[in-house]
Amino acid sequence: MTSRTPSTVAEGGGPFRAMLETLPDPVMLVAGARPEDLAGRRFAFANPAARDLLRLPGAEGRLLSAVRHPAVLEAVDEALFERREATAIWEQGGPRDRCWRVTARPLDDIGDGPERLALVAFSDQTDARRNERMRADFLANASHELRTPLASLSGFIETLRGHARDDEAARERFLSVMQAQADRMARLIDDLLSLSRIELNEHIPPLDRVDLALAAAEVAEALQPLAKERDVALDMTTDGRSVIVGDRDQIIQLAQNLVANALKYAPPGSAVRVRVQGGMDAAAAEASGANGGEARARHALVAPDARGQTFVALTVSDEGPGLAREHLPRLSERFYRAPGQKSGVNAGTGLGLAIVKHLVNRHQGGLIVESELDRGATFVAYFPAAPAMTPRAASAGG
Amino acid sequence: MSEHLVTAYGEELAQLGAEIARLGGLVEAQIADAVDSMTRRDVAQAAAVVAADERIDALQADVEHLTLRLIALRQPVAADLRHAMSAMKISMQLERCGDLAKNIAKRGLILAKGEPVTPFNRSIDRMGKLVVDRLKTVLDAYAAQDVERAVQVWSRDEEVDEHYNAIFRELLTYMMGDPRTITPCTHLLFVAKNLERIGDHATNIAEIVHYEFTGEILAGIRPKFDTLQHG
Repeated sequence: MTSRTPSTVAEGGGPFRAMLETLPDPVMLVAGARPEDLAGRRFAFANPAARDLLRLPGAEGRLLSAVRHPAVLEAVDEALFERREATAIWEQGGPRDRCWRVTARPLDDIGDGPERLALVAFSDQTDARRNERMRADFLANASHELRTPLASLSGFIETLRGHARDDEAARERFLSVMQAQADRMARLIDDLLSLSRIELNEHIPPLDRVDLALAAAEVAEALQPLAKERDVALDMTTDGRSVIVGDRDQIIQLAQNLVANALKYAPPGSAVRVRVQGGMDAAAAEASGANGGEARARHALVAPDARGQTFVALTVSDEGPGLAREHLPRLSERFYRAPGQKSGVNAGTGLGLAIVKHLVNRHQGGLIVESELDRGATFVAYFPAAPAMTPRAASAGG
Repeated sequence: MSEHLVTAYGEELAQLGAEIARLGGLVEAQIADAVDSMTRRDVAQAAAVVAADERIDALQADVEHLTLRLIALRQPVAADLRHAMSAMKISMQLERCGDLAKNIAKRGLILAKGEPVTPFNRSIDRMGKLVVDRLKTVLDAYAAQDVERAVQVWSRDEEVDEHYNAIFRELLTYMMGDPRTITPCTHLLFVAKNLERIGDHATNIAEIVHYEFTGEILAGIRPKFDTLQHG
């Protein structure tokens, strides 16, 4: 047995090693001999979670090939050479934009060499950070959206009290505008309330069985008058078994938001197509937005976790102005409006697709948008099909 | 910095790579902090970014010194020579990125004195994230000697251009709507331009990485989006 240098620690076996390997949080053992030799710092052990996070080829290596962030490096140095605990916040960036709190703690020297040791542990702070930011954004947006109609209302009230007091025609006109503004505020508040209700239940999986085709047909029928008013044909086709596990009211709300959205952007004389298709695998459901092989930009707003099951897809296409590629990823953000999108009294609340996204999330489904400027837009919401109603399948599914 | 240099040749080469990683990490953080301080109107953070630029310059000088020393004393050839040269070239690109980050922070300091121009915070923030991410990916590729990932960064820079273009048009519209916003909006325009140039530097680094590990110069036509046409 040679002295227990850090590298032999990492090579050693036993339950302690297995325990470190299994830890869900990334941990590393860092060693350094001289404070001024930053390039000489190395990690003597990194558990699989750390190797995955930092994309390390092995369990040992140069520290700078694993971590570059200056704040993290400083924390490590403090632990190594000043022998005290230090923390740093590290934002990972990239598609998995995660935020980590990195804690470095000095370890008692167990080797007889000049190297000092420190334990570096990462804990995920992404959700806390994201919630904090979302709350700030949301407050700013919501108050702005509520303020606009309110400002117009008080403007009209002032006018009605002032020079328009005795002008009957103007009064009627103003009152109808005020009515529209008040309706808009009411819609917005309804949507906000509905969104917060959905969020409360987002992590409770639904239990009922819903026929997506029936729900969509019901929505299509209810929106028929609006379609007539806009001179838009509303076509509905269904195909295959379309029963899913879901909350009926929420599925109807989802279909309603998608179809009403399509109707809003469909030009007069065009058609909005609603299709419900059952018995698809994940890949087919994802591809079901593509019509006639047209290559439009597509983006998955929600991607389901579960692979290898059957899905039922609800596809809503319009022939409206469409959206440029760069706006697709942001569509389900609250209050996001692509430039050129309608604003004013008849505009939506900016929450419709955010609601759809949360509903899809709760139902463990997927949501895809496909569009291009001047070539319409297609939304596909797909959900895992409900298991067949035999007792055996029902118990296997539960 | 110099007494521990009596190390093996391989160790010296590896140290050069590590110094680049250290410099790169600092530059990534500077860019992210600069954009962050601007959108959050955090004057103290912006001032810290401006002050920290000196460290980048010092590190860059260190890399240059190390490289020259290595070339003079070890006379590397082939892959080792390319490694030494690319360390020097990358350090220069990174130093430029650091200057651009400092410039963003300075503009943030000026913007913080006026009325907030909030509608652009998100777009600038997104563009900043995108650019930092490109830089991070290419530095990761350098550290992992992953030529393929570097080429990916090189071939996909139209996204940055699209962002820049969108911000450019948004800013123009905004300025036309309210001429009082021209001063802050012009600063934002430069901020967006700086970010776009940082993106270009990331592309350059990708080319250097490719040359270091393959010995061949990356050639061909990259998808390019003409930003001027749409102004």
